[in-house]
Amino acid sequence: MAIAERGYTHWPGSLEGGRRPWRVLEDFQEMLKGADKFLHINPAYFQAYYGSSFLIFMMLMIMVGSGSGLIADDLRHNSLPLYFSRPLRKRDYVGGKFGALAFFLLLLTLVPGILFILLKLLFAGSFAFLADYPWLPFSFIGWSVFISSFFSLYTLLLSSLGRNRRYAAILMVAAYFLSDVFFGIFYGIFHEPAFCLISVQMNLRQLSAAFLGAKPQFDVPWIYSFLVLSAVMVAAVLVLRRKIRVAEVIR
Amino acid sequence: MNIELRDVQFSYGPVKALDGVTLQIGEGACGLLGPNGAGKSTLLKVLLGFLRPDTGEGLVLGHDIRKDSFGIRRVVGYMPEDDCFIPGLDAVAFTALFGELSGMPRAEAMKRAHDVLYYVGLGEARYRNLETYSAGMKQRLKLAQALVHDPKILFLDEPTANLDPQGRTEILELIADISSKKDIHVLISSHILTDIEQTCGSLVILNKGKVAAQGELAALREVRFSLYELKAKGETGPFLEALRHGECRVEETEDGIIKIYLPEAMGRRDVFRLAEESGIQIRHFVKSRTSLEDLFARTVGVD
Repeated sequence: MAIAERGYTHWPGSLEGGRRPWRVLEDFQEMLKGADKFLHINPAYFQAYYGSSFLIFMMLMIMVGSGSGLIADDLRHNSLPLYFSRPLRKRDYVGGKFGALAFFLLLLTLVPGILFILLKLLFAGSFAFLADYPWLPFSFIGWSVFISSFFSLYTLLLSSLGRNRRYAAILMVAAYFLSDVFFGIFYGIFHEPAFCLISVQMNLRQLSAAFLGAKPQFDVPWIYSFLVLSAVMVAAVLVLRRKIRVAEVIR
Repeated sequence: MNIELRDVQFSYGPVKALDGVTLQIGEGACGLLGPNGAGKSTLLKVLLGFLRPDTGEGLVLGHDIRKDSFGIRRVVGYMPEDDCFIPGLDAVAFTALFGELSGMPRAEAMKRAHDVLYYVGLGEARYRNLETYSAGMKQRLKLAQALVHDPKILFLDEPTANLDPQGRTEILELIADISSKKDIHVLISSHILTDIEQTCGSLVILNKGKVAAQGELAALREVRFSLYELKAKGETGPFLEALRHGECRVEETEDGIIKIYLPEAMGRRDVFRLAEESGIQIRHFVKSRTSLEDLFARTVGVD
């Protein structure tokens, strides 16, 4: 039967104000009922993310994949005279390499933190979260900048030590994991929490807990971890100043 | 003057690489000649501000080598001696990068990169990965990156190193074109005499960190000595001995030609007089053009 022959019937309902785009969010909120735990973002949630082995492993992958050759390749292919025959200072060169690596690391640290905050605000529909934890944005921004800076300098340091990016990559992974292995051995034998200071990963966890207002895993003042990691960063700067030179002068 | 240096000294520890270098370099192409270890590359690095001289002063196109190395690097294009490139890039990206680092806007640097790559003969290969380039192509690429920001002066460090004869000729032709038609002054550091002879109008000879000679190539050839070639009949031993006694340098070639380098104090008549006294006949006598090799050997003091 043709549709025109079926006849026409009226719709018995009444029209409302019309649908607005943000009603989609309300629907989404409806869908997420019962997922309170997922949406309950608090300092512990940030600590769980920033102190997770997975995050640090992913950062390590970025460092190995895209950071190991940053300086090693330039040394291997004698590119430094080309760079420095331009109006370029040593700090411009190192700053450029640092910036490129730090950008990718911040994608894993700063960007998720900002997204957590935004999503929380979005789904809560109020600024109560920020009123409860006004320090939290500063904490995760500070920690993201610190850990990205640390890993960037750590990568540039090891990349500048040789002319082969593979060796630099191996050194990066080895230094990171061996420090953890040694910590495990010494801590297992002596049960002394202070041995956490020899592990890069444990120092990062201790400090992330301090930054994000959580309880550190070991009963060691966080300032020691801060000093250890800062010492590595200072050493990196000193080594880079020495290794990045366009003409080798042995006096 | 494009480059002026006064009493520049630079040492690598106890080794004096530059020892009181004073020189003036004018327009056009100038050769920086010297044996290995003479201080040529060190001098270029001092001029670019890579190395700070222990003592002395200098100007490159009016920029002080101690205080204004950035000013120098804006107007100078540098082609290093070693193979150097950035892995993973093609020639366009590589050349444009260095244009940008020199201060060119990105779009201009990219356009200019295409232009200079065509100029140096890499137009067809400009999108190839640099790791696949031959030695000759890498030399051209180094020249392209030195030219990309349109410098006023080019510093070329051993531009024909590791090249086959064909590649060498092509690079030398490019350099000659740049210095003669493109209004770019060129300073070429080399120990290959014929390269300098083909491309340069003036010359600085360095030896053990000191300036052994400098000036226009033609004038340097003339001033130092005169070269004659002769053939003689008779016992030439006493004649050659008498010439050497008169502080002439004498060489005998395999085909019986005797080359005589006369010092300024001696003339042609002295040669004929000594021949007569030695009892020989001179059958062939021509004034020969002194080659750069002769000049170099005399100046540096090697055979």
